[in-house]
Amino acid sequence: MFRKVLIANRGEIALRILRACRELGLSTVAVYSDADRAAPHVLEADEAYRLGPAPAPESYLRGDLILEIASRTGAGAIHPGYGFLSENADFAQTCEHAGIKFIGPPSSAMRILGSKTNARQAADEAGMPRTPGCVHALASPEEASDVAAGVGYPIMLKAAAGGGGKGMRAVYSPQDLPSAFASASSEADRAFGSGDVYLEKLIEHPRHIEIQVLADEHGHCVSLGERECSVQRRHQKVIEEAPSAVIDGSLRRRMGEAAVRLAQSAGYTNAGTIEFLVDDRKNFYFLEMNTRLQVEHPVTELVTGHDLVHLQIHIAQGAPLPFTQKDVQLRGHAIECRIYAEDPANGFMPSPGRITRLLQPGGPGIREDCGIFEGWVVPVDYDPMLSKLIAYAPTRDLAIARMLRALDEYVIGGIRTNLALFRRILTDPDFRAARIDTGYLERLLAEPPPANGHRIDGDSTIPATAAAALFEAAKNGSNGSAPEPPQPVSTWKTAARRDAIGGSD
Amino acid sequence: MKVNLEIDGQARQVEIDPADPPGQWRIRVDGEPVEADAHFVRPGILSLLIRGQSYRIVLDADTSDPALHIGSHRIPYRIDDPRSLRSRRGQARTDGPVTLKASMPGRVVRISVEKGEAVAVHQGVLVVEAMKMQNEIKSPKDGRVVEIRVAPGDTVAVGDILAIIE
Repeated sequence: MFRKVLIANRGEIALRILRACRELGLSTVAVYSDADRAAPHVLEADEAYRLGPAPAPESYLRGDLILEIASRTGAGAIHPGYGFLSENADFAQTCEHAGIKFIGPPSSAMRILGSKTNARQAADEAGMPRTPGCVHALASPEEASDVAAGVGYPIMLKAAAGGGGKGMRAVYSPQDLPSAFASASSEADRAFGSGDVYLEKLIEHPRHIEIQVLADEHGHCVSLGERECSVQRRHQKVIEEAPSAVIDGSLRRRMGEAAVRLAQSAGYTNAGTIEFLVDDRKNFYFLEMNTRLQVEHPVTELVTGHDLVHLQIHIAQGAPLPFTQKDVQLRGHAIECRIYAEDPANGFMPSPGRITRLLQPGGPGIREDCGIFEGWVVPVDYDPMLSKLIAYAPTRDLAIARMLRALDEYVIGGIRTNLALFRRILTDPDFRAARIDTGYLERLLAEPPPANGHRIDGDSTIPATAAAALFEAAKNGSNGSAPEPPQPVSTWKTAARRDAIGGSD
Repeated sequence: MKVNLEIDGQARQVEIDPADPPGQWRIRVDGEPVEADAHFVRPGILSLLIRGQSYRIVLDADTSDPALHIGSHRIPYRIDDPRSLRSRRGQARTDGPVTLKASMPGRVVRISVEKGEAVAVHQGVLVVEAMKMQNEIKSPKDGRVVEIRVAPGDTVAVGDILAIIE
């Protein structure tokens, strides 16, 4: 049973994992790059060791150095967080060989489920619905027409040999298929050296909904409900929620059962997430599996009442799951906003630099998983996520109101952030009505910002103007603070002094 | 004292003097009086009461464009001194030195001029590379290079002064 954990990550997730370890009475070892010497996870850990210069390949991706530090410090387990080495089956396997517990799934399960093609085969074998279509290259436009007729329009022709949008054509009606087939095939041939195309059903306006699973090392696996992750920009999640407004109990149960079946079929243990696309007829299709803890895990924690990192550690220590599927209840609604150091007004360009001011929200139902502090210099070398702000309330409407309230309290000065974007989304009627799909945010951003986007109400340019002048006056005055109110004179002191001096006034 | 500023895109003139008791200020915005009770929570954080309305205003002054945070709104502003207020009304700025600042983080790849060299408006002064894009920084006016504060290979942050043109 390990008593010391090395956290092989940085930023907010390293601190979050560290907190769970401390709560469970485990010693903690942090690792850091030169950019992170003063990071919160280093400050809070029991021990901390340098990995190398800032770039990830020289630091957080150096599995060899990480293992060496774990051995040297007697850490019996490594928690990989998300990103970096968390889905690196070779690293997980090396930990296994070194006798150091990797807090996550076995490397064998990672290999089966982490690869897209392997995972789709596993999904088929587990009877998991995935996007209907063929799994072999189409021999001719005629065969394509037959398959398309069977699957139903609209369909997507896709190159078999590669991705990135090349050799892809959406086809909405049968008469367009022959010419689309020809152009998809020739484009694929030019891009990948193979003109092979296959087809699958085109899911229009899908929702991205994922299921959290948790499996112990004794064969028990449960689903902890879904997360709605459709608010995305360029395939990056921006807002996540639990539960999804369109998933009812029966669909949740069916998706959960499918997810659990898939996880068990691959011998999966610990925490994992199965991603689905859900169409507007509530059909769900397997997309892929993430064999790690995810960024957005807090929303599941809040609606289920379970601490997922605690459970990850318990599972890694060989304990059985402390509850069964029927014990899993969802209560209330949680919304998470990912706060990034980027400037939405400037093409979402990254905005590294020093955080000169940080005023964080608090109060009921607000959780922040934060990796920054006032004075912190946001490095250029990593993902620009600063923190996750999560609001939890009994209903979705109240969670939205709570998040808006918290956003009003939040000030990050010195760098640009996407904070203003959340206000825009959370006040948008479509978002409030949960009319969202994976194209939602890009449609919203394509509209011009509301006229009073960053303007305050008409007459409160007066306070801003007065404030600007006051700051200027304070600068030119003494030390930036208002003059101290005069202290009341103490006649005691005056009398005592007078007596001490020995004269009369 | 008089302060000329541009806030949220509008030019405003403010007269501001401390009043009695401490924390009270006599303020006129474009001639209109505003009774303000101001308390600096700490430097850069202001609690402002105007006719009972309460505002928490946070100064964000250390970036290339200063701003105020009021609630979740970020309002850019600029303090002008009277000379430049005059010159900004439609004239090309030909008086006073101009600082060229980095508008995005990057690396200086080339300096195209030398200290003391005369430059024409829109002439390239230096090149900064950021995220695989090269950005040529040009002189905003005819003048002379007074100072170059960076060298090729230097990393620059937003707001860093690159050169001064007089």
